[in-house]
Amino acid sequence: MNDLILSSVLDKNAALNPLDALLLAVIGIVVVFVVLIVLMLIIWLMGKIFDGSEKLKEKHPELNNKLQNAKAKIMFWKKSQPAKQVAPETQETANGTCGELKLINVEERDAAMIMAIVADNMGAPLNELRFISIKKVEDEK
Amino acid sequence: MNIGEILTNLWHSSGYYLFGEAQGWKSIIMIIVAFFFLFLGIKKKFEPLLLVGIAFGMLLTNLPAGVSDALFHPDYWTGEAAVANGVDYVYVLQHGGLLDILYIGVKTGVYPCLIFMGVGAMTDFGPMLSRPSSLILGAAAQMGIYLVFILAACMGMPGGQAASVSIIAGADGPTAIFLTKTLAPEILAPIAVAAYSYMALIPLLQPPFMKLLTTKKERMAVMQATRKVSKKEKIIFPILVTTIVCLLLPSVAPLLGSLMFGNLLKECGVTERLSDTAQNALMNIVTLFLGISVGATAVAANFLTLDTLKIVVLGLAGFILATVSGLLIGKLLYVVSKGKINPLIGSAGVSAVPMAARVSNTVGLKYNQGNYLLMHAMGPNVAGVIGSAVAAGFLLAVFG
Repeated sequence: MNDLILSSVLDKNAALNPLDALLLAVIGIVVVFVVLIVLMLIIWLMGKIFDGSEKLKEKHPELNNKLQNAKAKIMFWKKSQPAKQVAPETQETANGTCGELKLINVEERDAAMIMAIVADNMGAPLNELRFISIKKVEDEK
Repeated sequence: MNIGEILTNLWHSSGYYLFGEAQGWKSIIMIIVAFFFLFLGIKKKFEPLLLVGIAFGMLLTNLPAGVSDALFHPDYWTGEAAVANGVDYVYVLQHGGLLDILYIGVKTGVYPCLIFMGVGAMTDFGPMLSRPSSLILGAAAQMGIYLVFILAACMGMPGGQAASVSIIAGADGPTAIFLTKTLAPEILAPIAVAAYSYMALIPLLQPPFMKLLTTKKERMAVMQATRKVSKKEKIIFPILVTTIVCLLLPSVAPLLGSLMFGNLLKECGVTERLSDTAQNALMNIVTLFLGISVGATAVAANFLTLDTLKIVVLGLAGFILATVSGLLIGKLLYVVSKGKINPLIGSAGVSAVPMAARVSNTVGLKYNQGNYLLMHAMGPNVAGVIGSAVAAGFLLAVFG
């Protein structure tokens, strides 16, 4: 018994007397139960928090609607970015730019690259720049 | 040129001649045991992925000295010099055989941790998260470990060996190997063989006690579906468990950390390739190395002893006590929950995933057609994995 009281690390090669073994077993099972009960409480609490947020959404549908609308807008914006349609001869406004940008014979992807290069060279954020139009210059024949 | 002398020398150097030397009969017995395990693995499909490897390693290592020396040297690992000064890994790499080199992964505890990573990547903690009381059943089944620990101490086993034998009751092969390689490497082979053999025998061992300790009414109890667990909860869980439990028991960090890392790879949704590798390629490679190198440690001189018999008996007692403990706490929860928890899921608290949960389901279906307990039993089953890792962490902290 003194071994247990004096040292937390016992000699693994020494025989244990049954009383020490009993004491160790009781401490061991208490440790297992305490750890798993703490985990149980955390899981229970986590479940309550997540269920609570779901119920809040159900109780205040307007909040949920606003969230969904915001998500939908973001999705729409993201989808509109990599559009690959060739701009027609006529002047057209591109999506996702600050103000109105007219693309003349230029693909949106190329226009995005040009804007990014210009912004980088100027050292200014893209959303602070305003592009009026981007026009493809015909090659000289 | 004397043809007779050449043939005599050839005969004397052959393994067949060496069987006739002192202790050769022990090797023959071990080879027969290896054949028996191969039969169990291949024909009876008892944990074949590991048992076939273990049996083949056992066969290779018990071939007479001249043959097995090219493969494995037990004295490198458990010889007097190794015990006194620690294993000389450089020497092992320079002079060891194939199985010596593979065994480094066992000795350093790398294989059990990698297996746990794969287990984590394959495990769905959802059933446990949806019913947190499952953790009580997972803890209850670990009582078997400590009851066997007391029994082993009463039988005069040293503390390290008693701890290693007791962990068999956790029904968790990697944890048993991880603990034993640190506390009692000299009995690693019988412990690994006993742990995996009893895990394979769960469908035979548990049902009699499940019937004995529960009434027909209890066995027929129908459990209701639990709440749906969100993806966020599943992602947060492995991070929380690792932080909380590893801070409390640092000795369990390699095992539990690997288990939870594997689970995070599965749940986070952005590492599908890594999760797939942990579940399949990595798991298969490590299982292959682990099986054959653990089997190699079952050398006749170490294996055919009275201690092995004690380990086999205590291991069996541990499995039974773990099952009984889980069932009794299951009965308690049945009463407390007014019949909403079927006590049969208590036996799944031993961590043999998913075998123990399947047994609960099978026994439940036998008494109530349509009462599927599998998902309910998976809760205590995965909780048992955490429970046995915590129990091993405690024993390592005490004797390590």
